[in-house]
Amino acid sequence: MSLSLRWKALAVALLVAAGANAFAQDAPVRIGYAIARTGPWATGAQVSQEPNYIMWADQVNAAGGLNVKGKKRKVELVGYDDRSETETVVRTYEKLMTSDKVDLILPPWGTGANFAVLPLITKHGYPMLAPTATGRKLLQLKSPYFFALLQQPDVMMDALAEYLAARSTKTVAFIHVDELFGLEQASALEASLKEKKIQIVAKKSYPMGVKDLQPVLNEMKSLNPDAFVSLSYPPDTFLVTGQSKAIAFNPKVFYAAVGTAFPVYRDKMGAMVEGVMGLGTWNPKSSPAAKAYFDAHVAKFKKEPDRWASAHAWAGLQILQQAVEKAGVDRKAVRDYIAANEFDTVIGKIRFKGGENISTPGVVSQWQSGEFEVVWPPQRSTSASLYPKPAFK
Amino acid sequence: MGFWLELAASGLITGGIYAVVAMGLNLQYGLMRIMNISHGEFLMVGAYLTWWAQTILQVNPLVFLPVVALMLFVLGLLVYRLCFRPIARTAANAEVVEARSLLVAFGLMFIVQNLAYLVWGADLRGYTFLSDSVEIGGARFGANRLLVFGFALAASLALLAALKFTLFGKAVRAMMQSPTGAQLVGIDTAVLHPAVFGAGIALAGVAGALLSMVYEISPSMGEPYTVTALIVITLGGLGSAGGCLAGGLLLGLVEAFGMHFTSPSLKMLLSYGVFILVLLARPRGLFAR
Repeated sequence: MSLSLRWKALAVALLVAAGANAFAQDAPVRIGYAIARTGPWATGAQVSQEPNYIMWADQVNAAGGLNVKGKKRKVELVGYDDRSETETVVRTYEKLMTSDKVDLILPPWGTGANFAVLPLITKHGYPMLAPTATGRKLLQLKSPYFFALLQQPDVMMDALAEYLAARSTKTVAFIHVDELFGLEQASALEASLKEKKIQIVAKKSYPMGVKDLQPVLNEMKSLNPDAFVSLSYPPDTFLVTGQSKAIAFNPKVFYAAVGTAFPVYRDKMGAMVEGVMGLGTWNPKSSPAAKAYFDAHVAKFKKEPDRWASAHAWAGLQILQQAVEKAGVDRKAVRDYIAANEFDTVIGKIRFKGGENISTPGVVSQWQSGEFEVVWPPQRSTSASLYPKPAFK
Repeated sequence: MGFWLELAASGLITGGIYAVVAMGLNLQYGLMRIMNISHGEFLMVGAYLTWWAQTILQVNPLVFLPVVALMLFVLGLLVYRLCFRPIARTAANAEVVEARSLLVAFGLMFIVQNLAYLVWGADLRGYTFLSDSVEIGGARFGANRLLVFGFALAASLALLAALKFTLFGKAVRAMMQSPTGAQLVGIDTAVLHPAVFGAGIALAGVAGALLSMVYEISPSMGEPYTVTALIVITLGGLGSAGGCLAGGLLLGLVEAFGMHFTSPSLKMLLSYGVFILVLLARPRGLFAR
């Protein structure tokens, strides 16, 4: 055999091997989900959740695929629009699990939708890491497959009460939205304040979709509380802020629950947000990992992630990725691995106990010159708190 | 100003917002029996156009108001041509127009909403405009809300006057009473019908532009406004410009006082309670003709 022939043979052998290798590459890991792209939930889902799914799949695939027990497999997302309808959520997940037979699932948006699919994930054995579901009621269902990434209401309200106590707050007035989320937050807040011996001078509920809260706010203002807390959803959070400014209601602490962490809150309300506090977890200053996540998100979508649930969604994907690396796509094994281990994520270490994230502490954040700074607890702070809050500008 | 006056003023201002939301639909459904259930969607389009102009072109939303009106008017003519002209032409009577237009508008609602998702995405949007407060006799109100209230008053009165005192208004009313009769006396219904429909869409767009100064916006914002509009025009009496204003103000007042005396959570109960009471007493609305 001449030298050149030998080289040719080798080249052919290599080509064949390469071709065989290409064919032997495993089928993609199919990950299914339903999420709101239209309807009222879309405003939350398209800020905090689905962009993370897309960015994660792109990043994983760009790096050669998902590491499944040492073998790289591409990720294929199977996403459907749930049109903000609970029935559609349930029907879609049923289809994903029984007819599409996806390998893994990602959660839908919001406490209600997660609540609705809980029986399905338990029945079919799909682990689900939920970044936008909160409430002890969910955890009380004790689904072994459900993992809540977000801090529970009592954890968040305890943190707020601790902050208020540290500032020697005597009186608090609060309003809450008359819905599962608001009710649970309200009772958690009441319990936390009672424990810190802070007096509640007024408490009122209001319905979803309210267009005017000025009469209620006037009443709160007349009581002159040290702190005002609004356990509200995004549309009402905007409303409460705007109308409090209009009537010059300037308590020393002004706290509004959901929506304050959204970049659009700052963009829409402008200078008004300075000193407003709310539910948050992180910001780009929290850690280098948080900064990297923030920058990648802005580069990909030309919009900022929110300062609360977005990073929890990303953390959930990181946990799933680490679990699959060790346990493969055997869903029971993935579930057991998630339940038993601690994970490194964009918001720090996370460990679950009874489905609850017991590592991420309750956090109080505050808008200061365009950033939602973490101001409580001290070990997570990115800035000292502005106290008392400057009057609305 | 006393506490009660302040409460009343707050209710009136919110009521004014309700009236603005209802005006466009009042023209379409109240006068023409076109059940445009996609009313809120055109309101949303008006809001988005204003937001666009404000954030991208830095145009003052007030200056942009006539532009929105004109753009939506043209859009209204187009929609009429494509969707409602065939109905208006082939329907035997007003009831048939009502039923068929409801179906068509229902489809239109999905199309417009999904187009908005495609163009603007699902994110909440908004900008700050006239958020400072105005002090009136010791009470303070958001300037943007006062502006909407002022517009509601002015536009309602102008509409009332136009329908009552001008030849154009007479022609419109004649056309509503009897399309054939109107044609016989020389009214060009082929022009007037689309024009009134277009004016309804334009008013929806203007309402959306005004609301975008007060509230944040999203593609799904329209539907609740359609419901509000239907309640207001039914309460006030279909087709009555004065009734539309009165209906809106009444709802606003009931909510403000109701929220004070009971709980804000009972808002819906109170609004629908008043709605039912009024309809029991005057089945055709407050200002039925």
